[in-house]
Amino acid sequence: MPLTITRRSFLATGAAAAGTVALGLAPGRAQAQTAVGLQLSWLHSSQFAGSYIAKENGWWSEAGLDVSLLPGGPNAPVEPPVVAGTALVGISAADYTAAAVEQGAPFKILGVAMQKNPFVIASLPANPVNEPADLIGKRIGMALANKPVLQALCTLNNVDINGIEIVPTQYSAQPMLAGEVDCLLCWETDLPVAMTMQNVENLTMLMADHGYAVHSQTYIATEDSLANRRAELVALMAGEVRGWDAYRTDTDAAAALTLQMYPDAGLDLETQKLQAARQVPLMFSELTDANGFGWWSDDTVAANIETLALLGRDVTPDLWDRSILEEVHGA
Amino acid sequence: MTSLTVESPATGQLRGSRATPWLGILIVLAGWELAGHLLTAAFVLAAPSEVIGYLLREWQLMGRALWTTLGNAAAGFLIGNLAALLLAGVALLWPRSERIVTGLALLVFCLPLVATGPILRVFFGPGSGPQIILAALAVYYTTLIPLLVGLRAAPDSWFDLVRSYGRGRFAALIHVRAMAALPYFFTGLQIAAPAAFLGAMVGEFTGAEKGMGVLTIRALRALDVEMTWAVATVATAVAILAYVAIGSLARRVLLSDPPVILATPQSARTQRTAWWDAVLVTLLALAIWTSALWIFNLNPFFAKGPTQVFDALFIAADAAATRATLGGALSETALFLIPGYLTGLVAGAGLAIVLVLAPALSSTAMPLAIALRSVPIVTTAPLVVLLLGRGATGTITLVAIMVFFPTLVACLHGLRQTPGQVLDVFDSYAAGPVTRLIRVRIPAMLPAFFAAARMAVPASVLAITVAEWLATGSGIGSLMALSASLSDYDMLWSSVVIVSALSALGYGLVGMIERRVLATYAPEQLS
Repeated sequence: MPLTITRRSFLATGAAAAGTVALGLAPGRAQAQTAVGLQLSWLHSSQFAGSYIAKENGWWSEAGLDVSLLPGGPNAPVEPPVVAGTALVGISAADYTAAAVEQGAPFKILGVAMQKNPFVIASLPANPVNEPADLIGKRIGMALANKPVLQALCTLNNVDINGIEIVPTQYSAQPMLAGEVDCLLCWETDLPVAMTMQNVENLTMLMADHGYAVHSQTYIATEDSLANRRAELVALMAGEVRGWDAYRTDTDAAAALTLQMYPDAGLDLETQKLQAARQVPLMFSELTDANGFGWWSDDTVAANIETLALLGRDVTPDLWDRSILEEVHGA
Repeated sequence: MTSLTVESPATGQLRGSRATPWLGILIVLAGWELAGHLLTAAFVLAAPSEVIGYLLREWQLMGRALWTTLGNAAAGFLIGNLAALLLAGVALLWPRSERIVTGLALLVFCLPLVATGPILRVFFGPGSGPQIILAALAVYYTTLIPLLVGLRAAPDSWFDLVRSYGRGRFAALIHVRAMAALPYFFTGLQIAAPAAFLGAMVGEFTGAEKGMGVLTIRALRALDVEMTWAVATVATAVAILAYVAIGSLARRVLLSDPPVILATPQSARTQRTAWWDAVLVTLLALAIWTSALWIFNLNPFFAKGPTQVFDALFIAADAAATRATLGGALSETALFLIPGYLTGLVAGAGLAIVLVLAPALSSTAMPLAIALRSVPIVTTAPLVVLLLGRGATGTITLVAIMVFFPTLVACLHGLRQTPGQVLDVFDSYAAGPVTRLIRVRIPAMLPAFFAAARMAVPASVLAITVAEWLATGSGIGSLMALSASLSDYDMLWSSVVIVSALSALGYGLVGMIERRVLATYAPEQLS
């Protein structure tokens, strides 16, 4: 085998490797594969199942990428590994990315997996929160660190935050079930899912439906990677787009694949199925139907900049760089 | 220096402490089962029967998780204890360096793991690196300190004997020092075992695919009470087994029971040398910090050096705001930390005294105390707060639990140190048990009590920062977690510096009080 590998032979070995996988043999990793890391924002779960589909089907290895999906966790910030180069791309959110850029990190947002921010106010049917005005007089359980989020929601909807009693709680539905609080600030896809699985009927009010526009599960990379590792970025994002499009067609299969690939994560299949189904409306919209997964428009960016300003983050549209997605979608 | 190892055979064992431990365990289990059934609707507690049910269903998952975490903990345990041996060797070969070695070791031990975790993750990349290193960091200090005491805990006459045979320092090391140090070494290992497991679990929070820490997070979020308690139960059982196993190994190897003195008695150097040592330790720490950033070429976005921290705290435009944020968080923390610390000390010493007066109680109290100590704090923190609420009670209790057990064990040991002849004198005056307690036993307990009180300073800081981070969302622990998620690494490193420095200062402050008190009650300890 010659030491210099042309792009053609590179692709051929990749395809051969994919073929081996299809035959059910050991996945023979081609020598020429480029190893890159994708830093996830949390522990493995169906939250990232689109990536699992891409990896399992060999869509990255076909393109010469050997992608490691690096798990996150409660003490695993996404930004440092991306800055340090351990990961080529990280899964962040517009507010965290803006904060990191303010501290001097040279990040760009390459794609937006969650078009709608997953933050909700969860409540119980007996004492529901259906719209922001319902928050008045309620006790809300949340991390104090998220007070700017609540403040932004209140400002956007002309609600006086002083009319809400904030109770600092750990990230769990338990305080609401114990009657310590009336509602929770949490994600659409975790605590409400946990309650439903425990047969506790609950309601959620999606903050994104009330003006809170912050792109979430955003793909970030450094300006240096954008300048010097474009081919890898395009290949990585192409796999993501393909993986998430497949995810959308069968979320149950995506959840099953999650458990199959990560049997040690302590996941429950039914919970994962529900979570996988509930994140679909957050990830796909008319905008993505028209332009493809991960897309954003000038309007959605403008709305983001407005909400981020309420969170104390001043950003410009430069933070978003669509060149990689444009190449992926052939726009 | 007066040796603290000498066991008095007459009082060496607390009667009944090993005879009927099952009764206490049964009572606790029965209460737990009852409470579990009463609290079903609150999603707080699973009864032991439910925990067993869960473990029978999911033993494979739990087994794999345990295997992973145990492997990392064992590797960390080995590395940490080897490091302790190495540092003790340096201090022994070059006695002048001892204060510097222990000072630096204390400072590193005080680094808050909320902050070290993410830095280790970036440094090691994916894999088990952070889990192993956090486990090693959790154990090396508690081995080093008893080891240093042990290496000196031999009577001068033994060294004379070695010399009279014409043998040198090496022979003295093998035949006298190593033998004298062995019981102390085992004590260190015993304390280290549960700590290593905790370190490995916290390491998993920096991003891991499997392990007990991963399952803990999953269970808490999913409102899966059975899984939460099953993980906590298994982790506790493992920690207790490790503790007991090392204890029984020690009993086979050693002739006497392992001693429980956990820290060097303060030597009677002058105040001036102490200050000089502190300055030297600080300068060395700053030099090591700066050169580590340089050698490992860490990215300045998240790796801040001493000058950047100084800049953030004193020079930058928002320095005053940074200081105010830090000060606010620290005072929130202190409000719970200090009462919890003191409660733990009083409860530990108090129970030790009660157990000496009423030895029959110890069969119930000791297994419970060991279990409480061994529950990894990452699983207890959310549970204690769930059970006792997010207010003062939960957090203070958590800190008190962390402080309570080492204090209890040390004080029991101290109470047993009472010289028999002194008690004989009091007997001859027909002094009652209370008089003997106040006049003889408590003064005899004080050195052990203070040794525990000093070691409890970093332990209580660990407890409160973890509780704030995982459960209550206030104070310096929460500020550090928040700073990391918002990429405010200036704030994060500033917090690390201040928390470590304050922990070390607290340790020194307890040492100062110790010298004052011992000067009155146990002057022989200071000679």
